[in-house]
Amino acid sequence: MSGSVVPKESAEPNLTPLLDIVFQLITFFMLVINFASDNYDQRVHLPDAGSARPVEDVDRVMEDRLVLNIDHNGNLLTGNDVHPYNEAVKEIKHQAALVKLNLKVSGVKLDVAANGLPTTIILRADKDVVFSSILSLIKACQNEGFRKFALKAMMRG
Amino acid sequence: MNRRRRKSEGEEGPQVPVAPMLDMAFQLLTFFVLTYRAAPVEGQFVMNLLPPQPATSMAAAAADASPSDDLPVSLRTLPTTLKAAGDGSLARVMINDTEIPNERLALEKELDHYLLDPDVPFDQTLIKVDPNLRYSELMTVIDAFTNAFLKAKKEPKLSFDELGPDEG
Repeated sequence: MSGSVVPKESAEPNLTPLLDIVFQLITFFMLVINFASDNYDQRVHLPDAGSARPVEDVDRVMEDRLVLNIDHNGNLLTGNDVHPYNEAVKEIKHQAALVKLNLKVSGVKLDVAANGLPTTIILRADKDVVFSSILSLIKACQNEGFRKFALKAMMRG
Repeated sequence: MNRRRRKSEGEEGPQVPVAPMLDMAFQLLTFFVLTYRAAPVEGQFVMNLLPPQPATSMAAAAADASPSDDLPVSLRTLPTTLKAAGDGSLARVMINDTEIPNERLALEKELDHYLLDPDVPFDQTLIKVDPNLRYSELMTVIDAFTNAFLKAKKEPKLSFDELGPDEG
């Protein structure tokens, strides 16, 4: 009986290198994850343009920006809501009032009628929307004092 | 001797269980792999768009142009008209009242003619756009104009207006 003792041998793989690799992969994905995706509405398919300039990270941080996502029917998209033209104009008015209030609170004196608001309107419009829908929203922005616009497009190549 | 060898092999040392940590790391990795979405490569055209002014105001503004500008704004502005077909595609392109073939290469050639020639005064453009034109078609034209301005080493200055039903 005593001769049948099984020796205590177990095959334990060394998991430390595997753990190292997994942590490196996690680090990679954490670094490349896109935290600014709230501005990218997947319902909007941008047109292509080769000479569109890439957005500098400095601009993204320093500029006061208002992103308008416009779907193929000309509706304004905010979060999960779809605003037709009349509601979109109200939303733009509301945003302009917030910008003006912000300027007032921070003590900036600005002649809005002459110089316009310092906020840049980032226009992310669907490639299939007709020009009249875009122009009516641009005019609504202009009426509220916005002058700076950036038209978004997908960069080719 | 035996005791020393056993100690050096670490058989009696503290064993840290790596497997639970590996499980957790794999769960984190799975989360990041599943939620990862490559950021779209977006570019932009930045422009100052002033509210449209009546023709009389434009003429007054042209008269008040800064002394460094030899020509009034109206003479330095290249007029462009874009007409749409029924399906919203680009049907006709007119530059400076001249119709050009509706092809990208022809448009680029014509713009080079107007913007690269030092004897031609144009340094900005007003694009009158058919209200039914699709945005992707307009973007093709904006792209061509921006390219031409950059090739001519001029700052791209574009403005838009809606084409009236009796125009073009």
